[in-house]
Amino acid sequence: MKSSAKFVAFTGILAALAVVLSLLENLLPPVPGMPPGAKLGLSNIVSMYAAGCVGFFPAMAISLVKGLFAFLTRGITAGLMSTAGGLFSTLIVWLLLKKLRFGLLGASAAGALAHNAAQLMIACLLTSSAVLYYAPILVLLGTASGILTGLALGVLLPPLEKLQRR
Amino acid sequence: MSSRFPLFRKRDLLIFLLAAVLAGAGFLQWLPKSGAPVAVIEQDGKEIRRVELSSIPQPETLVLDGEISVTILLEPGQVSIIHSDCPDQICVNTGTLTRPGQSAVCLPARVSVRIVGENNSGIDGMTG
Repeated sequence: MKSSAKFVAFTGILAALAVVLSLLENLLPPVPGMPPGAKLGLSNIVSMYAAGCVGFFPAMAISLVKGLFAFLTRGITAGLMSTAGGLFSTLIVWLLLKKLRFGLLGASAAGALAHNAAQLMIACLLTSSAVLYYAPILVLLGTASGILTGLALGVLLPPLEKLQRR
Repeated sequence: MSSRFPLFRKRDLLIFLLAAVLAGAGFLQWLPKSGAPVAVIEQDGKEIRRVELSSIPQPETLVLDGEISVTILLEPGQVSIIHSDCPDQICVNTGTLTRPGQSAVCLPARVSVRIVGENNSGIDGMTG
């Protein structure tokens, strides 16, 4: 990125993309038998790309925008859960990808798990420890969706990196 | 050219191992627990009702008023959330709870119903 205006604009585009992806995902009908909070996490592709290739602070900013959007459209509970989950998972992904040199699949799965863990914590604080009943399914589904989003990013990264160098 | 980030490294297995251990430990809590099933109903983190399921004489509905109203049906041996004003209806779709360890949660209303197994030794507290 050459100029700071370009940098801010690029981060803004990524934030918009993350919001649109989570919006699209919410339009999908819920699969019966799935516990609350189990999602594909398509927008994690964007926050992971940001954490890996743009920078720590832009990636955190994107998560904040996503949380704000959830707050505006789905209320305070969803907003809190989305913000906590997004920030924590972005932090973990950034750590694993940039500092500890994990692969995309591992970092993505860990990010999904971190997202679920932070959301469960918030849910726990808001209601009671009864929500922990869902934890094991969330761990399994989170790992699966993390692997899927990691694969997706693996496919998308080479062309994206080419684009970013312009 | 190849990406700066490889898709998979051997150390990624650590994450998957951790996930497997976490899931395994979590599923242990699903095993049927001993003791008489007792329904614990909480709103805003405060316990508002604790009743042994087998001691419920006849069906009774419990309406929890709040920003979002939730109706709970207590029956002999089982409990369920039968109505909620919340948009997602996850708590209602959870269905009927009968065994210790099960729970139904309505996040928007901050209401939870869970079943705990209580021994006669009264580790979780005496009801008198």
